[in-house]
Amino acid sequence: MKKFGRGMATIMFGFGYGEGFPDHSIASIEIKEDERIVIRTAAADVGQGVITTVIQIAAEILRINPNYFEVVQGDTHKTKNSGSTSATRQTYFTGNAVKKAAEDMLANLYHYGSLEFRSNHPEIAIEDGKIYMYDDPDDYITYWEMAERVKERGEKLEAEGSFFPVTYSPDENGQADKVYVAYTFLSQVIDIEIDTDTGIIDLLDVYSAIDLGKAINPKNVEGQIEGGTVQGLGMGMMEDQVIRNGKTLNAGMTDYLVPTSVDVPKFKHYLVEEEDSEGPFGAKGVGEPTLIAAAPALANAVYDAIGVRFFDLPISPSKIKKALKEKEENS
Amino acid sequence: MMRKSPMKQESRQTISGVDFKEYFQPESIQKALEIRAEYGDQIEVAAGSTDLLVANYEKLHEIKYWLDLVKLDQLKKIEVIDNELHIGAMVTHLQLMKSDLIKKNLAVLAAAAEDVGSPQIRSRGTIGGNICTSSPAGDLLAPLLSYGASFKLQSTEGERIVKAEEFFTGPKRNSMETDELLTEIIIPLTDNKREGSWIKVGRRKALVISTLTLAVVLEFEGEKIVKAGIAMGSVAPTPVRLKGIEAVMVDQKLTDLDYKALGREVKASINPIDDLRGTKEYREDVAVDVMVRALKEIERKVSS
Repeated sequence: MKKFGRGMATIMFGFGYGEGFPDHSIASIEIKEDERIVIRTAAADVGQGVITTVIQIAAEILRINPNYFEVVQGDTHKTKNSGSTSATRQTYFTGNAVKKAAEDMLANLYHYGSLEFRSNHPEIAIEDGKIYMYDDPDDYITYWEMAERVKERGEKLEAEGSFFPVTYSPDENGQADKVYVAYTFLSQVIDIEIDTDTGIIDLLDVYSAIDLGKAINPKNVEGQIEGGTVQGLGMGMMEDQVIRNGKTLNAGMTDYLVPTSVDVPKFKHYLVEEEDSEGPFGAKGVGEPTLIAAAPALANAVYDAIGVRFFDLPISPSKIKKALKEKEENS
Repeated sequence: MMRKSPMKQESRQTISGVDFKEYFQPESIQKALEIRAEYGDQIEVAAGSTDLLVANYEKLHEIKYWLDLVKLDQLKKIEVIDNELHIGAMVTHLQLMKSDLIKKNLAVLAAAAEDVGSPQIRSRGTIGGNICTSSPAGDLLAPLLSYGASFKLQSTEGERIVKAEEFFTGPKRNSMETDELLTEIIIPLTDNKREGSWIKVGRRKALVISTLTLAVVLEFEGEKIVKAGIAMGSVAPTPVRLKGIEAVMVDQKLTDLDYKALGREVKASINPIDDLRGTKEYREDVAVDVMVRALKEIERKVSS
């Protein structure tokens, strides 16, 4: 028999290192005369998309198509510290550092623009890679030509930005004014079906609502939600390191299971963009928060389906079948 | 502006040479049998290699000599000869699940082939490889037992036919001699109405070693069961045929049988262990319920 269950869980997640740790990111931007804009950041893109994110941020500020950008990443000879790709911090920290660098660059474009046109910056327009006077749009200079001019002066068209927010260590009561830079909130509803013959959980639908301030790249956010949730569901249903007498019995990924693409449920996402943080354009981190609600929501769905509470993960078919048997015997 | 394309890298994968010094790929069965006779238990027979290459690359054991049957096209056929289905040992899972002959006559085997691993594994892995690996969890093995299959084993000395239930002797062990190769799987056809059910229980939907498998094949004359084949995988050191239960069912009407009682008989006839895929208790309890489910499914098919 198949039994339907629906479960929900809500989480909040303070991201960044917080607690007074000197957590910060530094980034720089250079406009080159050969039609390239180079962003330098040590932020490592491990697939989460920080490179896409910082390009979008810089392109927005510098009012130019993202195709012109190149990113030099994670090279200690060429980049300054951007902290680790962990703690759900890169969009917020490096995103802000890049935004500040881009703003510094934009100010430089106004500065050199005013020298070029011998005018004040309110008279100058900057858009689509061109600098011109409002009253004569056809007489423009491109960013690349400007980079050439600046080079001729023996300077570089470059800018740097850093983001170094203050947090505080909690006191003996666990309180502080600002333990973390900001908090991300996520609520998830998960629908499942349990096969009472086999104790196997079939994942049906996952509804996620995430308060992330601002989705810099909505598709990337959806990817994070789906990836994080599936990882959390794997933790809830499958991942099980079995240790006996100090030895791990799982020989490899053949018997340490994670979900495959056909195990993945259907997703529906609701992005709540309140822009309530000091992150770039109000964005908050979404990485780890997307993983946390899945297992508790699943456990609640299992309870809804068969009336049994589980307090240890994974909720394996063996555990479900045994619980169903005990429930039948006790009734 | 034009971007530089990334440097093309030479493939460093070697098919022969350093990694495979003694690798044979004969084009005739006779040549394959000669190599098999010469090297005996020193040579690993590759029939798709979905298990063998994993073992090799994980260095579970050193493989020195390889006998790859991939070029033996004679072993890739499915044909009917004298009211028997002959399936070549190198027929892939993909072929089995797509073959009209198999789908029409051996629906339970086709369904099991469809549940093997993943698309990649199904298009490389073969029925002969599945049989000779002799894992108690091999997905095709319970269906083969329930259809009463026999295996043709050939050597340079001749050939012999072994019944499936006599072939498997232990986990990853079988009665094949070290100079023999499995060349054909033979399954009797019938004019009777044959209905069956295949159930694979695993912890995820793909790429999973079965926690338990059940294959039920019933032959009917009218409403009466004239032949029953019931077999399970992953519940004992070998895939097992449950002949005691088959005997109870023969000459009965399906609807006269007590499904739950038969399920309990199944539980009493198997000997599973605790492992990472499931506990002994789990397998026993699930065996009862999936037996009931299988019989209900056949009842539905017969009545429709």
